[in-house]
Amino acid sequence: MSSELNLDYSLLTPEFCLAGLAALILALDLFVDDFRKSWLPYVAAAGLAAVLALSLGWVNKESDFAGLLSVDNYTTFFRVFFMATAAVVALVSAQFVQDKLRHPGEYYALLVLSTIGAIYMAASRELLTAYISLELLSFCLFVLVSYAKHERRSNEGGLKYMLLGAFASAILLYGISMIYGTSGSTFYADIAAAYAGDTSAFDLALLLGLVMVLAGLGFKVAAVPFHMWTPDAYEGAPLPITAYLSATSKVAGFALLLRLFSGAFMPVLDDWQWIVAALAAMTMVLGNLVALQQHNIKRLLAYSSIGQVGYMLMAIAALSAATSSALLLHMTGYVITNLAAFTCIIAWYNLTGRDEISGFRGMAERTPLLAAALTAALFSLSGMPLFAGFFTKFMLFQAVADEGFLWLTVIAVVMSFVSLYYYLLVIREIYVSKPEEGEERLPVPALISGLTVALTIGVFYVGIFPRHLLDVAEEATKLLFA
Amino acid sequence: MQALLDNYVAVLLAAVVGFTLVGTAVIVSRLVAPYSTSNQKDISYECGMLPAAEPVRSQLHFRYYLFAILFLIFDVEAVFLFPWAVTFLNVGKAAFYEMVLFIAILGAGLAYAWKKGVLQWK
Repeated sequence: MSSELNLDYSLLTPEFCLAGLAALILALDLFVDDFRKSWLPYVAAAGLAAVLALSLGWVNKESDFAGLLSVDNYTTFFRVFFMATAAVVALVSAQFVQDKLRHPGEYYALLVLSTIGAIYMAASRELLTAYISLELLSFCLFVLVSYAKHERRSNEGGLKYMLLGAFASAILLYGISMIYGTSGSTFYADIAAAYAGDTSAFDLALLLGLVMVLAGLGFKVAAVPFHMWTPDAYEGAPLPITAYLSATSKVAGFALLLRLFSGAFMPVLDDWQWIVAALAAMTMVLGNLVALQQHNIKRLLAYSSIGQVGYMLMAIAALSAATSSALLLHMTGYVITNLAAFTCIIAWYNLTGRDEISGFRGMAERTPLLAAALTAALFSLSGMPLFAGFFTKFMLFQAVADEGFLWLTVIAVVMSFVSLYYYLLVIREIYVSKPEEGEERLPVPALISGLTVALTIGVFYVGIFPRHLLDVAEEATKLLFA
Repeated sequence: MQALLDNYVAVLLAAVVGFTLVGTAVIVSRLVAPYSTSNQKDISYECGMLPAAEPVRSQLHFRYYLFAILFLIFDVEAVFLFPWAVTFLNVGKAAFYEMVLFIAILGAGLAYAWKKGVLQWK
């Protein structure tokens, strides 16, 4: 490292503001007695939106904090991404938390704090900083998954998630120590420089390190065979947290993987490329096939999200400038779609208390707007044209095939067809099954209706005008391969 | 790889020697020491009462768990304070204020727990 460090704290202003926001939420919850607890989600969402606007001030600027955290377009992209996601989740949580959970202050504060961890995972350019950020995100999620304290399933899911998460962290740390042992540095750029030359002196330790780093991060993003915690954590967690898990925790894992593998491990591509390709193939096949047998919507979406992780891993296996911008595009489309689906599912659950797939019968008659939006989201997840899922998958698969991974693309296309089947099972319940006698139209809150419409417009926008988002994604990943 | 492993020869030696020493001590004392067992030997001799209730296993109240966690936070803080105290003069003002901020955050955490009633024995 150079002797003079750039300790410009103003680079980290958005995250300081987020920490302040979390403290504000806790203080409001604690000290203002007559403060209406039901306002907390709106305070959180408004704060996140304000910090999001603030972070746009770093567009097209490039700098770093002490060599540890990059503040460039890639970081800015994920700042906006994670804050927008957290704001939507906060809004969706409003009614659910009020009805079903206690301690709303800590809930929203943890949501905001976990966003900081996710952002730094994308921003870090040094292994230990990346690790600490990963832990910050994970710790918040462990608590949030088990937030329904008096429900057995929530505790079970939280405990499994925490034990396996701790195990994964240990493996990741061991891998990091191997990488440090062989390269003599924890900075991505220095690791790449150390691996650029002859690596035959430490080939075995290097391979061990790569395998363990991949296994540790594979746990976090739920790649097969490290996916065992996912269905239980998804099913046990409060519904909005399930949405948050499927969005932020996965995307943050990939943001870290992308910067790490493009920044540090590119010179030893041959050592890890086949491992990631094998993981991607296994993840796609198993996630989508097991999803076929699920009868709970949370577990269905858990396995479908494992399948999605398989598609995303393909981009890491075929790492190049084209695949990484396609990956960012795909993740954006996926998260918008997933949030739209979860908004409908959460609203339906708040109204009826049902989260089994068979419980969605009659949704078309009782809440037509939610039914239409959920159908659009599910079609998008399976990759139908016009919806976001089609174009983002198309770009991703094409970029991967261009890099010579035609066999992976073939598996991905076949598995997309398989996924259509289980999404259609849900749509059949919504539109074909008749509602039971005496079930009337249900009133959907205006906020939820508005959010659903906005997210559905997002799904179509990404599907019909993908060029805009793709330009942004290309800008964001440009520096990774500079 | 070889150089990497060579660094750890000392650790391996220490582990082998450690396990051998402890193992030998345990086994030898087992073999050599005289043994006699009787009920009389199991009761307390001139050091307190016989336990009155069964089972003798004593249970800790669950509430201690929260105190333990709060204690742990400040215990770990000390781990950071000691190396900081040795070097902060060299690093400069930033190090001082960062540590003040860190302690302030921990203090705020304790105040939060206090206000939430964690320290009350209900």
